[in-house]
Amino acid sequence: MNAMSGSMGTPAAPPFISAVAVTKSYGGAQALRGVSLSIAPGEVHGLVGANGAGKSTLIKILAGLTEPDSGEILVDGQPTAIGSPHRASDFGMSFIHQELAFVPSMTVLENIMLGLPKKTRFGMVDWPAIAREVSPIAKRVGVTAPLHATAKGLPTAENWLINITRALVRKARLIVMDEPTASLSASECQKLFAIIRDLSASGVAVLYVSHRLDEILDLCGQVTVFRDGRSVAELAGPQLTRPALVEAIVGGTVEHLPKAGNEAATGEIVLSVRGLRRLPKVREASFDLKRGEVLGIAGLVGAGRSELARLLYGADLPDAGTMLLEGRPYAPRTPAAAVRAGLGLVPEERRTEGLLLTKSVAFNVSLTNLNAILANAMLPFISSRKRTGMAEKIIRDLSIKARSPDQPVGRLSGGNQQKVVIGRWLQSAPKVLVLDEPTRGVDIGARGEIHRLIRDLAARGMAVLVISSEPDELPDLCDRALVMAEGRIVRELSDRHVTRSAIIEASYAAAAERVPA
Amino acid sequence: MSDVGYTTRRLSPNAKAALGVFARYGTIIGLVVMVIVFSILSPRAFPTITNFTNVLSQASLAMIIAGGLTMAVIVGELDLSVGYAASLHGVLVTGLIVQNQLPIPVAIVIVLALGALIGVVNGLIVTKLKVNSVIATLGVGTILVGLSFAYSSGVPIVSGVPETFLQLALGRWLFGIPNPIIVMALVLGGLWLLVERTAVGQEIQAVGGNPAAARLAGINVDRIKIFGFVLSGMCAALTGTLLASRLGSGTTNAADAYLLTAFAAVFLGSATLRDGEFHILGTFIGSLIIVLGFNGLNIFGAPTYSQFVFQGAILIVAVGLASLGRSLAES
Repeated sequence: MNAMSGSMGTPAAPPFISAVAVTKSYGGAQALRGVSLSIAPGEVHGLVGANGAGKSTLIKILAGLTEPDSGEILVDGQPTAIGSPHRASDFGMSFIHQELAFVPSMTVLENIMLGLPKKTRFGMVDWPAIAREVSPIAKRVGVTAPLHATAKGLPTAENWLINITRALVRKARLIVMDEPTASLSASECQKLFAIIRDLSASGVAVLYVSHRLDEILDLCGQVTVFRDGRSVAELAGPQLTRPALVEAIVGGTVEHLPKAGNEAATGEIVLSVRGLRRLPKVREASFDLKRGEVLGIAGLVGAGRSELARLLYGADLPDAGTMLLEGRPYAPRTPAAAVRAGLGLVPEERRTEGLLLTKSVAFNVSLTNLNAILANAMLPFISSRKRTGMAEKIIRDLSIKARSPDQPVGRLSGGNQQKVVIGRWLQSAPKVLVLDEPTRGVDIGARGEIHRLIRDLAARGMAVLVISSEPDELPDLCDRALVMAEGRIVRELSDRHVTRSAIIEASYAAAAERVPA
Repeated sequence: MSDVGYTTRRLSPNAKAALGVFARYGTIIGLVVMVIVFSILSPRAFPTITNFTNVLSQASLAMIIAGGLTMAVIVGELDLSVGYAASLHGVLVTGLIVQNQLPIPVAIVIVLALGALIGVVNGLIVTKLKVNSVIATLGVGTILVGLSFAYSSGVPIVSGVPETFLQLALGRWLFGIPNPIIVMALVLGGLWLLVERTAVGQEIQAVGGNPAAARLAGINVDRIKIFGFVLSGMCAALTGTLLASRLGSGTTNAADAYLLTAFAAVFLGSATLRDGEFHILGTFIGSLIIVLGFNGLNIFGAPTYSQFVFQGAILIVAVGLASLGRSLAES
């Protein structure tokens, strides 16, 4: 329909939905201090901002999960209280979140139709008729799984496509996508972008929320920037550039970390890995990790990086291979054994695997340092004074933005939560620290701080292993990088050869070599 | 997008804050109101030192078993075997004393060790065989019922129970305070210290709060869970022993009803002061509410069936309050 209004020469299509001066507070915390945003039919609208800037709160309001304290939401120019997820759906809005909701035991088609009115025949659901209707939509979106297959075990990319299909079956006019590419490979991303462009051309608007500015610049015609609960910039056309976005997000210029020299990384070998294997994901991994160095592990999603980390950490047991930690055989059977031996892990999913969200910052940082906060080494009792002291020191050293050590960690922003997870290993000072995607979902400012922190840890003599799927990240951070593809280490890049292009090239070259022509 | 989130969504911040206060302090307010109302309605029978001491002494048995159950739920599991286990322990301890002529302390040590063993079995089934704890402990509990019948042939062990054993629950060995109150205070005090003030306690809380994060932080999750079941099993043994002493007999289903009381107390407790988090002080307050409620019903001569209605209703209210608190804490 926007195509029609376009052909009639309307200067700009009237917005499908707008938010005007919306505010929202949770308890004492002001999440939105006045944000405005409007999305025209068929527009791909970018929404960016640091963690805690208020993006998710606005999405929750649009989805009808929570109500604004003040301000207006207009749908087709009419002031509206969305009120419930059901109504949001009636208005033609569809939401696809980072954590995709699925019933794994049901089929693809059943998942697509979940909660939607279904065609019936003699009072029973007429699945063949529904399949005939859904099938062309699924095909257009590019769903490759058969509609009658169970949804269990489908790759994330496929789940995204199924969710988009679901939105289109509902006749969505706006699809809100929250960090859609966080766990997609580069080729899957390209496929998704093509679909988004196709949606846009057919009049479906997309609100695209992401930290990945390249994607935003590539896809979006218009971008709204949130900072500290306010909409601080609305960029389009020639103003829409990377520096302009970064400046608006950060509210100043970004500090550029000078690449540290390699002199610290000449230390002795701390962890030596030979022939480590756990099929099907890890086929052969051999490398040495030295004291004081930051070693990156790069590669596409599915290359086996996180699985390798799990082997190092005793979370899974290898089929074959040996490890030496400071020259002694090291074969952890549990994470607890790995920690005792001197490893630390900052896991990929900090909210589900790293933190106890309802517990305080102090509780979370002290969890790996319980011996350090005993009131008396002979007795099992902990000293809450020592615990608070430890937490205060970590909060100060890492400049964590928390009101107090007693604040529940779930109330902090993503970057600050990540600092809490890293901070807990600061005290116990393991010999080897493994960080899996340390800056995923973290804003640019906090990302710089986390990188500096990682360099600091290495400078103090820790051996650091960083896994990252963002090719931009490792060049800033690492002395050396290993590129993994299909479960093998296919390339080692050192020093100034650790570049974005070298990483990408190695990831794809290796993957391409193994694909049968 | 939880169901509860759906119902609380429309509340204004003030209403939400008020609801939060209600969720946290509702149980304590309820307790105070109950005491006041009963005192006004029955000024002679209810608000007396004697009545309170009696109530607390009776409540102590439920409080001990509920304290143990709290340890199982803090580590994130349910233990449905505690009531049946306590019944078996009661039968066994009387049998060991009366039929096997064992010295009383030895008999008690044996049932405590058996309680710990039952906890280990529950814990191993849950952590190693990965059986859901509801099923595991229901199965183990049912087996215990069978063992209890096998041991006693279903006939209560009544005659020949020595006076010294009866004095265990009926005596007042310290400052004129009934023994069960002393035991309860020691057990709950010890468990409170363990959970809130020791390093192991931190690990216990972490395992219950987020087992995945606890495991990756280097905590031996299975061992902590088994430990929770062991404490639960030992508390059941203690309650079973005290009950047998109070009744002067070992009866195969004497303690079964403690299961429901303990659950209601534990969930009421989780809604007390903290947002749906299980803790020992809460369990103590929860037990007090239930037992005072029973006491009030008794004093006013309410029919026996009303106790079941009261207990069922309070269990639902308790779990409701706890999940309300949790959802408010998360929103």
